Amino acid sequence: MHAIEAISLEKRFGTIQALAGISFSVEEGETFGFLGPNGAGKTTTIRILTGMTEPTGGSGRIFGRDVVREKIPARREIGIVHETSNIYTDLSAWENLIFTARLYNVGKRERESRAHDLLSVFGLAGRKDDKTKGFSKGMKRRLTIAMGLINNPRLLFLDEPTSGLDVQSNLIIRDVIRRLTGEGVTIFLTTHNIEEANILCDRVAIINRGRIAAIDTPERLKKTIQSVQSIEVAFDPSAAVRADELAEIDQVTAIRKMGDKYRLITGDPPAVIGGVMDYAGRSGLRIISINTLGPSLEDVFIRLTGLDEKGGGGTP
Amino acid sequence: MRNVSEFCSGVCTGFSAAWAIARKDILIYYAKPNIIVSGMLFPLFMFLAFAVGRPADPATMVPGLIAITILFSSSSIEPVSIPLERRTKTFERLLSAPVSLHMVVLGESMSGFLYSCCVALVPLAAGMVLFRIPVPDFPVLAAGIILLSFCFATMGTLFAAYPTESPGDIMSMLNLVRLPLIFVSGVFVPIGQVPFPGQVIAYLSPLTYGNDLVQAGFGRATQFHTGIDIAALCIAIGIFQSLANRLYRAFNE
Repeated sequence: MHAIEAISLEKRFGTIQALAGISFSVEEGETFGFLGPNGAGKTTTIRILTGMTEPTGGSGRIFGRDVVREKIPARREIGIVHETSNIYTDLSAWENLIFTARLYNVGKRERESRAHDLLSVFGLAGRKDDKTKGFSKGMKRRLTIAMGLINNPRLLFLDEPTSGLDVQSNLIIRDVIRRLTGEGVTIFLTTHNIEEANILCDRVAIINRGRIAAIDTPERLKKTIQSVQSIEVAFDPSAAVRADELAEIDQVTAIRKMGDKYRLITGDPPAVIGGVMDYAGRSGLRIISINTLGPSLEDVFIRLTGLDEKGGGGTP
Repeated sequence: MRNVSEFCSGVCTGFSAAWAIARKDILIYYAKPNIIVSGMLFPLFMFLAFAVGRPADPATMVPGLIAITILFSSSSIEPVSIPLERRTKTFERLLSAPVSLHMVVLGESMSGFLYSCCVALVPLAAGMVLFRIPVPDFPVLAAGIILLSFCFATMGTLFAAYPTESPGDIMSMLNLVRLPLIFVSGVFVPIGQVPFPGQVIAYLSPLTYGNDLVQAGFGRATQFHTGIDIAALCIAIGIFQSLANRLYRAFNE
């Protein structure tokens, strides 16, 4: 049985088509990434699959249960972590967890035991009885995820779980996601952090303008655009580097400045390495490092969503 | 048989979730300053505006004070809590939980209902202790307080369905309804003395029937039979609950 089945899901808001008949399935125990630029239809898809809104066409199933007709039983199987850390700031961490457990009809003994465990796992046990008003952004996010897990869900919807968080919170959350995957929990992850999807997901779907642009494992997706390889080069910062001159090297199709490095996109890396060496020699520049890189998931994303055509070329 | 058992289990689970929502509201909102102002001080000042300087016997004024206290206090929680929870996105938590929308509406209304029942005890105790006003039919008075509180708490939840993140927007709309009701529902002015259009509204107003029940509890002359008052309030509760359910569904799209 599939954990999630979306069959020709459509959603219209008046004249605007938010979803144009998307279909995909997620297997039990899989970590599935759902990527797309803002307004692509990610949140609408989650809202339909969690029964918060009804599709105008098609259907969705959670563990075989229809998300419209069997909404309540379907919801019992899932945990939802919304994009915003929607906790009750007038309540303590403990009260937030217990309230959520009561909403999901978790028995007294089990909810207290799970609340204790989750507070420990997310590093919040020491602040258990503090009002969450004073929590940092990372602590609020961790508590939000803990609330999503209080009912021991078989499927967890994670909407931008690590967006804008500190390193400690990021590490804790990613570690929990890996642990959940090990326990067989299915994870549906939407994120803007493509590297996160790359390292966490078994498969990813890229959605753009309400349609699925691609769906596959990260590595197979990268192979689809082998023509997008790149040379990453860092020069000694004591001398000025002319990006426009680097861009004119033969076979370079695009250039991106990435911190102290330049990434030269090309279909012919050896030719570009030679060109970079020549340029460095001519300009009296010292090369600190030079690497050949395959296409990244971000490259796939940019190519499939057409973000490069819009003058971006940056991180979505 | 299995279906009946599943149904009963579903109902119990739903009520348990509704009670969880009510408890959460009690913990968070009962002590908020804007709830205290709109739920307790506002009806008191409304009462004083009517009562001060009028040569009226307290026994005639206390039932009316109880009715308007219930009107304002029961409908003061959700119009504040729901828009605030929309702003912080915590309301999405309720809408995405394995709970029917009916139970979410019920849970939200329960907090206003319980708040109102407690607040109504203040003028009741004042009337009984300070002015020694007798209550010859306490069960009818209790029914009046309970049904009126639940009715207007559900009305508060209904108004809070309007998709705004500002409590002020909902309070303004609510006062457009609540304030005229005081004048036409026989609370201070007998319905017979109200101009004809007002009398038509009076017969549609749940406050008319709730006030009538409270008056009956105090052994005072009433407009309708107690059974009619109770039936009218139950119908109003059903209408408000059903409308609220439809509006939350529509606005959540």
